[in-house]
Amino acid sequence: MTFTLLLEQIFNGLQSGVTLFLIAAGLTLILGVMNFVFLAHGAQVMIGAYAAASLISITGNFYVAALAAIPITFLCGYVLEYLLIRHLYQRDHMDQVLATFGLILFFNELIRIGFGPAALFSNLPPSLSGFVYILPDSPYPVYRLLVIGVGLVCAAGIYYLVTRTKIGAMVRAGASNESMAAALGVNIRLLRRFIFSAGACFAGIAGIMLGPLTAVEPGMGEPLLILSLVVIIIGGLGSVHGAFIAAVVVGIVDTLGRVVLPLLLRSVMEQSAADGAGPALASMMVYLLMTVVLVFKPTGLFPAKG
Amino acid sequence: MIATVLDLVNLNKSYGVLQATADLSLSVERGQIHALIGPNGAGKTTLINQIYGSEIPDSGCVFLNGENITGLSVPKRVRKGIGRSFQISNVLTEFAVIENAIIAEQARRDESFHFFRPAFSDQDLIAGAMIVLERVGLQKRSGDLVADLAHGERRLLELALALSGTPSMLLLDEPMAGAGFEETLHMTRVIDGMRDNVGILLVEHDMDAVFRLADVITVLVEGQIIASGKPDEIRANCEVLAAYLGDEE
Amino acid sequence: MDLFKFLWTGVKEQQMLFGLLTGFALFPIYTAYADLPFWNDVAMRIMLLGMAAMGLNLILGYGGMVSFGHAAFVGIGAYCAGISQFYGLNNGWAHLGLSLGVCGILGLVISFLALRTSGIYFIMITLAFAQMLFFLFVSLEQYGGDDGMSINRADFMLFDLYNPLRLYYLIWSALLIISVILLFIVHSRFGVVLRAINNNESRVEALGLSPLRYKVTGYIISAMICGVAGTLFASWQEYVSPDIMHWSRSGELMIIIILGGLATLAGPLLGAVVFFILEELLPELLNLVAPSYAENWMIIFGPIMIFVVLFARGGLMGWVSRLAARRMSDHGVGQ
Repeated sequence: MTFTLLLEQIFNGLQSGVTLFLIAAGLTLILGVMNFVFLAHGAQVMIGAYAAASLISITGNFYVAALAAIPITFLCGYVLEYLLIRHLYQRDHMDQVLATFGLILFFNELIRIGFGPAALFSNLPPSLSGFVYILPDSPYPVYRLLVIGVGLVCAAGIYYLVTRTKIGAMVRAGASNESMAAALGVNIRLLRRFIFSAGACFAGIAGIMLGPLTAVEPGMGEPLLILSLVVIIIGGLGSVHGAFIAAVVVGIVDTLGRVVLPLLLRSVMEQSAADGAGPALASMMVYLLMTVVLVFKPTGLFPAKG
Repeated sequence: MIATVLDLVNLNKSYGVLQATADLSLSVERGQIHALIGPNGAGKTTLINQIYGSEIPDSGCVFLNGENITGLSVPKRVRKGIGRSFQISNVLTEFAVIENAIIAEQARRDESFHFFRPAFSDQDLIAGAMIVLERVGLQKRSGDLVADLAHGERRLLELALALSGTPSMLLLDEPMAGAGFEETLHMTRVIDGMRDNVGILLVEHDMDAVFRLADVITVLVEGQIIASGKPDEIRANCEVLAAYLGDEE
Repeated sequence: MDLFKFLWTGVKEQQMLFGLLTGFALFPIYTAYADLPFWNDVAMRIMLLGMAAMGLNLILGYGGMVSFGHAAFVGIGAYCAGISQFYGLNNGWAHLGLSLGVCGILGLVISFLALRTSGIYFIMITLAFAQMLFFLFVSLEQYGGDDGMSINRADFMLFDLYNPLRLYYLIWSALLIISVILLFIVHSRFGVVLRAINNNESRVEALGLSPLRYKVTGYIISAMICGVAGTLFASWQEYVSPDIMHWSRSGELMIIIILGGLATLAGPLLGAVVFFILEELLPELLNLVAPSYAENWMIIFGPIMIFVVLFARGGLMGWVSRLAARRMSDHGVGQ
């Protein structure tokens, strides 16, 4: 285990962490502040990825496609909220779970019909496919650095939006409490739609950026959705800065766990046993972390309420 | 036999800068109705909650029949003998009246953790439940769904559920709230008839009912007791009335 | 008269449950007569799905706990059979015992961690734990990993499972036993407290009962029932893979319950029948309209679910009892 490898893995973890944060940021507000169980948030990631992938093949320009895909994801969230979601706010959690589960099935199948079941792979433009030397002898892909950068900029933007702007104050004041929001003169319906569309948009950005890194395929969003739920459980429901810290921790633990844990196990037990247990344990690391947090802080590290 | 049922010793509770309970001591005796009055925000419900266990005091102790119950959970306190009615009706709305009482009866007997013993068809439980319903005069409505009850009847049912655990200490949080004239009269009679073996702490805004029922009245303002005594003494205490009524208007 | 109406619909529901069970008991006679042995296989799958959904319904419908991870227990039950067999233990009763034990312990741990909070947290935590177990089995290469493992039908001694009818009636008996157990539990003292917690948790506390104890116990029972369904599922399929504990399977169990009717005994079984019919019917329909898209029946199924949620609360059992209520008032009984 060299230092270079470790550093590279930490950067990979950071990259997956900020991507997770983009997905979790909107979701934690939808779940925590709006008290709405939205399971189709993963579909927004998929929509972003597919929008970017198809725009790349149309325009031939990665940058144009990526930027053009962002408003599409925002619009998707907006339309979805208008057509269906707003009819579900007053329903109980069970209804919300089932309806949004139905949405997942619908979107995944829609994409499968439109683009086929096989995974799409998009190539990076030459300007982004190079390497940067983060240390004298450790090259690192430019694109992943760009993802980290964009992710951090978005995170700063979200943080500013929630803590420093009037909209953020309204969100914190009472997107969940209709009468209180009305008393403050907030148009609750517009506010909810905004949170929803913005959340969809950030999830879409995550999808756009993940496109060249992973297989773009139907159902790609759900593992990410569940991982961002873990992030939200650890960070505390409704807490944006909790989600950020948890996302980075989860990203790094997950990435490092897969590389470091098998090596560690091999040094303490037999080769065969280590090869069996290593991947199993690595795949559970994030969830074990969640369990530990739950044992000591049942409502997460930074609970938003109380 | 200990005459003092409930003893509060130097209770303190604050929310940030707001002192909801300030070094409050108070005791209630068996067979006594102790009324707690005061303006809104005086900390009456907060005090009830600390006795009930849904809120924990910052410092001080709650004694029930001489036993310190300050650290116990709500269900444990209820099993030790605390009964409570809530400001907003708190009953099982999706069940029939008798079913509410049956669940209360099986809880009282500590016979709830049985997986094969029937509940709603058990004659023994039904009989026990009916006795409690009769005490508040709801026996005629036993077969009806709670959803079909009038407001006052729900309050009565809630009282029945609180009584069902054979409590030694009853906490009644505005039992007359929202009730009409007739309902208030009936409720007053029911509460009057309950006083024999229990201590009752009554929070109520209806002054007629308070003066008719109470043996002792305590006036609470900003978490502090500003006066306490027999109804006549309190009635005579103009300063109290001024503080109370002045804030009320 | 309301109490009477209440009891009447209750009786109706039990009739429905035992009617369905009788139907399943007689079904092989029909398939033998009509020479459609394949349909026995289908019926077994429906019974197993219904069994798992019944288990989930105890906490979802009666207890009001939205657990989004119950397929994990079905999977654990199946792997209890698979892994035991991998190490040479092929006694079906032992598999069942193991499955009950493992699911019970896991149910205790997960529910205790998840139930210290409530609402959305509960949904998220149960989903996360189920995903953890899913990934665990995906990465356990010695037990087939992603591809799963082929197994033999377990040896249940009295039941020679390579006689298809014996397997059928083994599953049917398990379903019957679980139905009867649930019938008792739902109407037992424990059951009414569970339902009362669903209705108003703070009232239950005020009666001196600790809700956590009842919720955790309910969760354990429901996990064990799902485990039994999983163990039998392994013998039916002669194959175990992580796919049966995929998160979407948990969703399916919930769909089955909502289609049939929440908090009813017959609902999950009825829902499993309807789910199967939709699964078969929708591709056929699509085949008529747009043959190349027959595989993509989910594109219709998703919106159907949304529709059911928005407009048909209560599922089929709700529809049945509304019909019953109307008939009663027609006869002047319910007035």
